[in-house]
Amino acid sequence: MASSNVADAGPNRKGSAFQSFRQIVDSVVDACEPIVEWMIRLSGWSAIVFVLAIFAFVFAQAFFVFEQDSMIPSLWMKLDFVEFFTSVKWRPTSVVREQYGIVALLAGTGAVTLTSMVIAVPLGLGAAVYVSEFCHGKTKETLKIIIELLAAIPSVVWGFIGVAVLGPLIIDITGSPIGVNVLNASLILALMSVPVIVSVGEDSLKAVPDSYREAAEALGATKWEVVYRVLFPAAKNGLLAAVLLGVGRAIGETMAVLMASGHKAQIPGGLLDPARTLTATIAAEMGEAPRGGDHYRVLFLIGIVLFVLTFLVNLIADVVVKGIKGKQNG
Amino acid sequence: MVHSAEVGVAGPNFQRFPTMEEAVSAVVGQGSVNGHQSHSNTLTSNGSFVIAHLSNEQSDTSQCRPRHRFYVDSHLLGSGGDGTERDPWPDVPTAAKHILSMAGDGTLNLRPNEQIVIESRKMFTATRLERKKMRKQSIAKGVFFCMTLSLVIPVFAILGYLFVQAWPALSWDFVTLNPKRMGTEGGIWAPLVGTFFLVLMSLLMAAPVGVMAGVYLNEYAKDNWFNRIINLAVVNLAGVPSIVHALFGLGAFVLAAGMGKSLLAASLTLSVMTLPVIITSTREALAAVPKSFREACWNMGATKWQTIRTIVLPNSISGILTGVILQVARAAGETAPIIFTGAAIFLPVKDNGVGYWLPYTLKSEVMALSMHLYTLREQINNAPLAMQYGTAVVLIGLVLSVNSVSIALRVYLRSRKKW
Repeated sequence: MASSNVADAGPNRKGSAFQSFRQIVDSVVDACEPIVEWMIRLSGWSAIVFVLAIFAFVFAQAFFVFEQDSMIPSLWMKLDFVEFFTSVKWRPTSVVREQYGIVALLAGTGAVTLTSMVIAVPLGLGAAVYVSEFCHGKTKETLKIIIELLAAIPSVVWGFIGVAVLGPLIIDITGSPIGVNVLNASLILALMSVPVIVSVGEDSLKAVPDSYREAAEALGATKWEVVYRVLFPAAKNGLLAAVLLGVGRAIGETMAVLMASGHKAQIPGGLLDPARTLTATIAAEMGEAPRGGDHYRVLFLIGIVLFVLTFLVNLIADVVVKGIKGKQNG
Repeated sequence: MVHSAEVGVAGPNFQRFPTMEEAVSAVVGQGSVNGHQSHSNTLTSNGSFVIAHLSNEQSDTSQCRPRHRFYVDSHLLGSGGDGTERDPWPDVPTAAKHILSMAGDGTLNLRPNEQIVIESRKMFTATRLERKKMRKQSIAKGVFFCMTLSLVIPVFAILGYLFVQAWPALSWDFVTLNPKRMGTEGGIWAPLVGTFFLVLMSLLMAAPVGVMAGVYLNEYAKDNWFNRIINLAVVNLAGVPSIVHALFGLGAFVLAAGMGKSLLAASLTLSVMTLPVIITSTREALAAVPKSFREACWNMGATKWQTIRTIVLPNSISGILTGVILQVARAAGETAPIIFTGAAIFLPVKDNGVGYWLPYTLKSEVMALSMHLYTLREQINNAPLAMQYGTAVVLIGLVLSVNSVSIALRVYLRSRKKW
């Protein structure tokens, strides 16, 4: 007993100087509590601030004209909004008459997003079901990690893969004269948005209580029947949210689409036609648009359109997810 | 009626009979073949009788297709049943009686090479319906497996292909030399350093704000409309397209704040963009700490901040780090937000001295690896292909290795979780 007392006392005595120092630091840190709490509050609110700031600054660049002398901005209303939303002609640098119609760009975004979702949604949900229901333990972890790695590949690398690898492949297989087109961009986008669909889809399947599965199995249902008849209806909202998040990802993707879509402002007539999306237009033309000019402002306006579009998609996805959570709690 | 054909009982006691009646009688053991009586009156659990319509040349029933399948279950009492799997006959004589009567009214016409099988219903094994369901299930499983495979294979195929193509360019010089002649010669040192600076700067700005925001959302925020809006804002901030972040960075940092196209503006843009990653993962990490830990601490008189500092944060630090690392990977790979806010297509940089290690200042433009890849592929015509692939592989390698650290941390964390 005695020896152990000595052994205990050793480190204690040694640490006493350190501990008193610790105590001073602790009391100082604790005294900072009001300051720290306010910093935490402010940081918490920062998300709102940033979302509002994004809208405000993009809006300001699109609409406010800051004159050299006056501090009060005047509104820029030169743009023909009817033409903006209804014209197919995107000719920002035309010498005769500049035209800013985003219909072709919207069609490009729509075509690429839709095609990529046609590929990504079945694959993504299928993989989510497989990972969530049909495999266990190590296999499950490995598959999840691989799909996570798929999400980690940077978009510019995806674009590079689209141009350098997939493009020649498409030319070889389909005989189309160009390899960068709607099909190429859609395949790339599908691979990029699949991880979101898989992870959110898997989460929503996991959120279905096990008692549902057990009840169905007790009634003699096979695993496939459990998935098809029980899990799909029960996780409907979560799966829908997964798809919507995938759509949001596809709409907002820039670099990959810029490189792989062919970048031609036209309404694509088929999978092998090149197209141009809203995001790619901004990325490609902002550098050349003279600051404060019409072209520059229209590009910011497209930014607002994109912001609103993805905001709506995310809002709907969020409401849908909240819907299931509320139901499960209630 | 089977008259001219020969009908036999299959199995080890295979015999030929001129008519079906005789064959059936033989099965039951009431006919002329007395020798089979003992074995034929009861069916063992997986035994079966076969009455087949054979030609003279055939010596076994292997060529025959079953036309009818009847079931017998000796565990059943009574004489009911219609011989189906669901409702079997109780014994072989009953089966024979029914088969004979069916043969009598012509519903049991055996054509050549067809047979009747009388089986004992198997206990505790799949019925036909169940077998069908299981088949369906294995098909479904196979389809899902193929879907998963079609996502996994491209990853390895693409990575492998890129690596093979990049092999000629990859060398120590490729990494440590500065690019020359717009990037068509030399290496990728300057863009690599630029990416490092961008990531470091954005991390320094995003990590404190993000972690504190996560603490606020999990520890301080009550469930009211204001905090629901904050949550919504976080979700939407994560969903805003990267190019819109670029426009924001251009409007706010480059123009309004007067930073110009610079390292500072670019990393601020990146930090706003990657903030939601840190917020969400911090929140999840904090939420994983059990409520009882906090309650125990409060009960000892600790304030909220003391509880967070001494109990909550130390117990969730690995989870928070995971999120921070993911932010690093994300920031390293992004291109769109830095195009207008600070990334340069090409910058002349020094090849030695301090300028080699610190080529940029906060106010100067930077080269970045992601932008460099875009430049080599799209902006310059004569960049050697191997260099393009090499840049892509280095970028992927960088991002994936950072990601693997995060994954390893998460796996380690889960293995030593104490609650």
